[in-house]
Amino acid sequence: MALLSGKRVLVTGSTRGIGRATAELFLAKGAEVILHGRNRSDVDRTIEELGHRDRIAGLTADLARRSETKRLAAEAGEIDILVNCAGIYIEKSIIDSDEAFFDRTIEINLTAGFLLSRSLLPSLRQRQGVIVNVSSDAGLVGYGGSSAYAASKGAVIGLTKALAVELAPDVRALCICPGPVATDMMENAVKATSDPEAARRQWANFPLLGRVAHPSEIAEAIVFAASPAASFATGSIITIDGGTTAGKRV
Amino acid sequence: MIFDYSGKSVLVTGAGRGLGFAIAQAFHAAGATVFLNDRTAEQVDAAIAKAGGGKHLIPAPADLATAQGAALALAPALHHGRLDILVNNAAVNIEKPIEETDDAHWDLHLAVVLKAAFFTTRTALPLLTQSQGSVVNIASELGLQAIADNIAYVSAKHGLIAMTRSMALELAPLNIRLNALCPGTMDTELMQDCAKASGDPDGYYRRFRQYHPLGRLATPQEIAAFVLCLASPAAAFMTGSAVAIDGGSSAGRM
Repeated sequence: MALLSGKRVLVTGSTRGIGRATAELFLAKGAEVILHGRNRSDVDRTIEELGHRDRIAGLTADLARRSETKRLAAEAGEIDILVNCAGIYIEKSIIDSDEAFFDRTIEINLTAGFLLSRSLLPSLRQRQGVIVNVSSDAGLVGYGGSSAYAASKGAVIGLTKALAVELAPDVRALCICPGPVATDMMENAVKATSDPEAARRQWANFPLLGRVAHPSEIAEAIVFAASPAASFATGSIITIDGGTTAGKRV
Repeated sequence: MIFDYSGKSVLVTGAGRGLGFAIAQAFHAAGATVFLNDRTAEQVDAAIAKAGGGKHLIPAPADLATAQGAALALAPALHHGRLDILVNNAAVNIEKPIEETDDAHWDLHLAVVLKAAFFTTRTALPLLTQSQGSVVNIASELGLQAIADNIAYVSAKHGLIAMTRSMALELAPLNIRLNALCPGTMDTELMQDCAKASGDPDGYYRRFRQYHPLGRLATPQEIAAFVLCLASPAAAFMTGSAVAIDGGSSAGRM
């Protein structure tokens, strides 16, 4: 029997990037996966691509809108595993970060995960469930030019610990902190710079391993954290960052 | 007096009582002009009167949970034309289990702890650039670890520490320093409010004394002294740090 058969998983932001790779791996491990994306067409396309039609469903919600986040929670129903993966990353200086930008970053990266956790608690408690939040190495070490993002991701780490402390022993809560990952989100951030090639090189040189991660390398950690293999792990802040938080070259 | 702040100006948010008031008092005693912020003019005026009044204690009332709050809080400093130090101290801390943490409660904690610090700093940037100033963000040992029934506060304080690091990197080329201070539990009005709300004030105090390996709560004055140190030339090479001053509570388990 596959490791996670019979488990019902909601992965937010799962039409692309880390979320999509995570949904794919959960499917491979036998879980029942609820995909989430902002647009119906993206969700339908992802369902088409990932297969396992008997164990996959798709919901849409714009997590910048609170009413939609709450509707997503209601539509997801009872679940065993919640993966809060949806996020936005846009490089912006402090001066350029206006209130709308700050609020949007916090709402999508942090508050949506809290609201989904709170709404889905009854079934998570009942099913001895797991919450896996996707933070970032930027929640642990600073990134100049991404202060709003860092604020949101640092808070996700606090959120995870608070969930772990308060929900033990019923629910485990863990947090994965990826470094740079080859995703559309990162590609968009690279393209937004004045010299994309240089930016791409800079990102690749940032981790000690000298490259950015493949989304599947993050998905492996997320699925492990959610699986019985990690049954004694809660409140864990797991860096999968190619060494960015260990230190840097002089 | 260890630190001399003569001729310097300081804005302290949430200076109406507790730690903020102690910080304002300490800077004032060290010779600084202090802008005291709290939500209402009445709170600020009362604090200034309690601190003895005088021309170096200037009211800067503003509700930092609102969009216009930061600009209002900075207005007196802008008028004065100088700001050397910003202390983002304003906070709200109301304990609630996760299920009872409703949207309004969550939003209020994020607004006052996290968003207010971001926008007060952002609004102060022109003045801080001019003075090559320093920002001290009052985080908490709950920005380093969690306790139960305080998820909004714990999340916001963790975010504040991460934000301090990123802002410190971005502003380092301007020689503006930012550091976070992570105090343990202090015996302040906020603590008294929490104790009262718990329904068992004596038990609450006892638990929090035991929570700190030193076996007591901090005084606001001993935390304020550290703020003066972080903002001073003694800490001129220090930026992007998060310093715990918590009686050992974040060091581990006894």
